[in-house]
Amino acid sequence: MLRILLINDTVKKVGKLKQALLEAGFEVIDESGLTIDLPARVQSAKPDVILIDSDSPGRDVMEQVCLFSRDLPHPIALFTDEQDPGIMRQAIQSGVSAYIVEGVESSRLKAILDVAMVRFESDQKLRAELHAREQQLSERKRVEKAKGLLMKMKSCDESEAHTLMRRQAMSRQQKLVQVAEQIIAMHEMLGE
Amino acid sequence: MKQNDSPRGDTLAWINGSDAPEKHILNLGFMPLTDSASLIVAATQGFSQPYGLTLNLRRQQSWSALRDGLLNGELDAAQGLYGLAYSIQLGLGSAPTPMAVLMGLNQNGQSINLSQAMLESGVNSSQALIAQAKHKSRKLCLAHTFPTGTHAMWLYYWLAAHGIHPLKDVDTRVVPPSLMVEHLRAGRIDGFCAGEPWGAHAIQSGMGFTLATSQSVWPDHPEKVLCATQRFVEQYPNTARALIMSILDASRFIEESEDNRCSTAQLISGADYVNAPLTSLQPRMLGNYVDGCDHDWHDAHPLRFHGNGEVNMPYLSDGLWFMTQFRRWGLLREDPDYFVVAKQVQQVDLYKQAANALGISLPTSMLRSSTLMDGKIWDGTNPTAYAHSFDLHAIADPRATRQAN
Repeated sequence: MLRILLINDTVKKVGKLKQALLEAGFEVIDESGLTIDLPARVQSAKPDVILIDSDSPGRDVMEQVCLFSRDLPHPIALFTDEQDPGIMRQAIQSGVSAYIVEGVESSRLKAILDVAMVRFESDQKLRAELHAREQQLSERKRVEKAKGLLMKMKSCDESEAHTLMRRQAMSRQQKLVQVAEQIIAMHEMLGE
Repeated sequence: MKQNDSPRGDTLAWINGSDAPEKHILNLGFMPLTDSASLIVAATQGFSQPYGLTLNLRRQQSWSALRDGLLNGELDAAQGLYGLAYSIQLGLGSAPTPMAVLMGLNQNGQSINLSQAMLESGVNSSQALIAQAKHKSRKLCLAHTFPTGTHAMWLYYWLAAHGIHPLKDVDTRVVPPSLMVEHLRAGRIDGFCAGEPWGAHAIQSGMGFTLATSQSVWPDHPEKVLCATQRFVEQYPNTARALIMSILDASRFIEESEDNRCSTAQLISGADYVNAPLTSLQPRMLGNYVDGCDHDWHDAHPLRFHGNGEVNMPYLSDGLWFMTQFRRWGLLREDPDYFVVAKQVQQVDLYKQAANALGISLPTSMLRSSTLMDGKIWDGTNPTAYAHSFDLHAIADPRATRQAN
């Protein structure tokens, strides 16, 4: 029976996988909290698989666990695309990173990732949609348009208009294109 | 390569010509650190538009995730620890994958900090720390950010220069920078080495003080780089060049005036970027240090992003240095083919083209000479000898040279 250590240290709450994994027949150790002593925990729990949120900063601690383990009897490694690319895609889509002890077959990981994917797939889809929308904007045209409007409004040259917009953007912690949209919107509202 | 006097002057002609980028929209990974400033400025303030690119910033939560993004294509390029690019190249912690260092992003600006508890127990100087490390019954525990990272190398170098073996005389561990202060508070670690604003943050939280800046280990040391996979550069060379030009332009902008540095600090402190108080970010960005131990100064080698091009050249000697230190500390079991690897990774020709197009002066050599804190000179010559020249090291078999391929 595979022994899985769940690192539950982010808002995603990887710990939610516990019940489903138990039902699927795995042995589960659930480790929660923000300042877990990961190396010590891995050493005492001796899991076959470690699951952690792909977005957890704790992944860099796991990096050290893996590096230190390479000379030990049971090295641990991040599950990567050296194996079946289908499983890898699934791993990425689940938003959960898997670390696997040498000797455990990656095919056994598939059942675990099925559980993770069902649980977290919608979060990932939302993020992908957000990114897709972003890529459709043509920033350059909007910035040029706003610059032209500003040049008329303020009777200044292009370089001055650009500097004005950039100063505004940086002081408000915004993108230049956001300030451009504000200028365009303002101009539309105020009319010719 | 076409010369452009003013990047904005002939924009459309340039981006529609034979040098036009093959890919126009790029995903750029970064970590919430002060030294991601040039990426943030380039992507948000329109610096990539003249070169035909749209840059989408993708903030990462760990260097591991950033690395994964580069390898699986979710990220086209990223801010990377110098050491991260080489650990991927050499297969430390991931399958070996050919990498490309496109340019240096910054020098200096990291720090080694100790806890308030250490300060209160009288450990307020290097001498006091050495005494503590050698005679105390409890081993000191010091944190850094990544096993093959720059912060690990600065910490190890500093300790070894003071006669403390970083792998034997103290415990070192990776702690995410955002959790350093918590670990200090809980007494889990006695100190840490990380990038700003975390050092300043620890001081402002009353949890620690700065024992040494990274620039005191190596003045004007290499730090973060703009990196991508070799595959990306081979598939999209014009894109890679345009990306270098965008970031180079932004780097130059940041250093044009103190005003620009201040507005950069204001921008990057935002919630979408570094997400830290301006009071933690700005002073050290301007070179003004308060160490939490009654000292304040204006640093001779502050964090810098451009230095008229001195910072941005992907020097061969910079890449080589990290490989020598990986060998020194046993991360590499054998000496790699140092020059072959460095020449593959450091994108010197691409950088030169980009710098020329922007009218930025080029250093005369791809090797630069520096004197580090222990008096040793590193000038890029004979890396094998250099790697084996240290009193304190973790080389198991000194005769194992040339990594088998």
